[in-house]
Amino acid sequence: MVDTYQMVICGVGGQGILTISDILTIAAQTKGLHVLGSEVHGMAQKGGSVVTNLKIGEELNSPTIPVGTGKVLVGLEQNETLRYIKYVKPGGTVITSETVLFPISWKKDKAAADKAREKIREDLDKFEARVYFDAEGLANEAGLSLAQNTVLLGALSQVEGFPITEDELRDALKIRVPAKYLDSNLRAFELGKNAVKKNI
Amino acid sequence: MAKLEELVANEDNRVLCLGNEAIARGAIEAGVQVFAAYPGTPSSEISEAMNAAAPKLGFYAEWSTNEKVAMETAIAASISGVRAMTACKHVGLNVAADAFYSFMYMGCKGGFVTVVGDDPHCFSSQNEQDSRWLGVSAQFPIIEPSNPQEAKEYVKRAFDVSEQFEMPMLLRTTTRVSHARADIQFNKFESNYRIGELEKTNRFACLPALARANHPKLLARMEKIKEWLPSSGFSIIEGPIDIIDYGIITSGISYSYVKDALKILDKELPILKLGMVSPLDERTILEFAKDKKNIIFIEEVDPYLEDRISALLIQNEIIPKIHGKSSGITKRYHELNARLVSEALVKVIGGTVSSVKEIEKSVEDTKDFVPFRPPLFCAGCQHRAAFWELSKVVRKDKGIFASDIGCYSLDPWVTDTILCMGGGIGLANGFTRVIKDKPIFAYIGDSTFFHTGMPALANAVYNKANINILVLDNRMTAMTGFQPNPTEVIDIAEVAKSMGVEYVVEFDPYDFEKGKKTFEDALKHEGPTVIIMRKICANEDWRRKRRIGEKIEVFHIDPEVCIACGTCIVQYQCPAIRWSLDTNSKGKKYSVIDPTMCTGCSVCSQICPVEAISKVDE
Repeated sequence: MVDTYQMVICGVGGQGILTISDILTIAAQTKGLHVLGSEVHGMAQKGGSVVTNLKIGEELNSPTIPVGTGKVLVGLEQNETLRYIKYVKPGGTVITSETVLFPISWKKDKAAADKAREKIREDLDKFEARVYFDAEGLANEAGLSLAQNTVLLGALSQVEGFPITEDELRDALKIRVPAKYLDSNLRAFELGKNAVKKNI
Repeated sequence: MAKLEELVANEDNRVLCLGNEAIARGAIEAGVQVFAAYPGTPSSEISEAMNAAAPKLGFYAEWSTNEKVAMETAIAASISGVRAMTACKHVGLNVAADAFYSFMYMGCKGGFVTVVGDDPHCFSSQNEQDSRWLGVSAQFPIIEPSNPQEAKEYVKRAFDVSEQFEMPMLLRTTTRVSHARADIQFNKFESNYRIGELEKTNRFACLPALARANHPKLLARMEKIKEWLPSSGFSIIEGPIDIIDYGIITSGISYSYVKDALKILDKELPILKLGMVSPLDERTILEFAKDKKNIIFIEEVDPYLEDRISALLIQNEIIPKIHGKSSGITKRYHELNARLVSEALVKVIGGTVSSVKEIEKSVEDTKDFVPFRPPLFCAGCQHRAAFWELSKVVRKDKGIFASDIGCYSLDPWVTDTILCMGGGIGLANGFTRVIKDKPIFAYIGDSTFFHTGMPALANAVYNKANINILVLDNRMTAMTGFQPNPTEVIDIAEVAKSMGVEYVVEFDPYDFEKGKKTFEDALKHEGPTVIIMRKICANEDWRRKRRIGEKIEVFHIDPEVCIACGTCIVQYQCPAIRWSLDTNSKGKKYSVIDPTMCTGCSVCSQICPVEAISKVDE
């Protein structure tokens, strides 16, 4: 039996977190694996912290992932990565964008973003497999600032033991992404993938 | 989300979808003919799917003005012999309660299912109500699916059971079932749509004499379900049944946590999973419990199974040790997960959960550091502008501010109270009777106005309450996902005028000075005033513009002019504006507008004290 692969995707409402989990579920299903995820809609989505849990495997029961059991975390915003990093198990992989979306609670501290950068470097050091990169910059390089999520997906494709291959993810992208954005998304995917090859 | 073509395709297929979409598909496979609902998280996607599917398949679906009207619409269809369904969030069932309670006395004809979405942990709700209690007191049979696939099958099943026993059914989900995403087996269906016909009988008139006669009949129907339950397949016993030391009784999503918790502990224990949680499958429960030394109840929020089944066991002189909320192994609030359940089980069966101390330590470190990120008004939201203007006219400590349920619940400046749908105007009515030295404001959205605001407004006019009502009409039910509502065809200003409100004005909150003046004028008026901000939801409008490629005229901040006073960030709190990472030529941080988030509303440029903000092209 295939081991259940548990992952966490997090960021801020509007960053395309649900789209990543959509693409992953499409790819997994195409491959004949079962998927079970959990997401939160409604009020919690509005510019708030958003997290989705995703399990890929054969026998799946509960949709949420307890602390310390995720194999991979994909973070679209570094504060959110910090918030949910506890869900990754020791030896797991953390892939995060260095993007900072300004939380309102920082409004009075003009240097908060700088402090956060230091803190996340410290925390990430606890994980052997980690990627901390400018996904937003790469998305812009691909010609679509909103494709940061696809950059991260490209990075994810390089994680050792990830149950879905690069090609399968690309196929799922083709199903999920509107035709006019497909080329830029595929470029974003490549950029993410290559960035990780240097990094991981 | 599942594609519409997949949702309506009459095929055996595996489809990726949300639990709520699986529920809608279950209703479609069951041949539901009338569906009516008011949106509410976590139930809204059921209604979205049903409203999208209806024209394709030829059944009727509507967005109703509130849950009570929705339920009545479905009840009429059911007693006319066709299959009908309604769906709401937990507190929505309270709104429909009047119809809900008496309907059971009539009994149904066409299969009838009410889906109620409970929200343990209050992800998007004002309380953690456990709707199973409502179901029990309204004498509804209640079924509780543990995952999206089962939700689909149970809905289908519920329509058959409903017709078999002439009883409407309550299907209770929780957020983690409704908003779980999984690959779901869809099945072929036959839609044998029926012609509605209302039998001329006194069964459907809840008059006292008839109700007196109907009550024992309803109890008799409940007894019949109870007799049938052990053979129904709704109760499942699994695990090593010969173990007598422990037995777990559970239902719904908690069952899936139990399964994963036992995996974590690498243990097997006998489990009784109840698919129908009212009436109780007494025979199966007694059979399961009779030799057990310890019964462990795993359920979220309230000790529903624990209390009812403990009583049943005592009545039958079966006295195991009871573990659950009463012994404190799980909490009476918030949701469970596999880890919490494994910790709960360890308290009873002994052993330890493998150590995560290392992680927990790093969690503690991070907890203090990670910034709080509450939900906020979107960039460009007109509600923010309206509340900013209001707060400049009447400071929080100088007025009473009764808010309501909707996006405007997010106001960061003045709000005093939020109670329930339509509750803002109702509370404001009451405040006028006891608070004499402050102006009283109520605010309400367009959807909530039609939902329960209108009776409260009529009351304010009739009883001459001196209140100011701000109607935040953004042309849709935005918070739950931009659903349509009667504001499309009914003019709220005309409604207010026809109810006898003398002071009714509309204003554009993006015009900062005019907005302030509108509130100042309203304060001078005796009697209820209605101030309407009528403007399409800024977020929806912005998304539409981006979709069609329309140019958005964004604003920017001149780093050299900005004095970093924080008016736009600290006070106005626009999420599109943040502190710069670098510094300007004077070595100071400044404000920056994110051009991918700016909607071009212009309000920041109006409130900036040094005129540092302007349109990008200027």
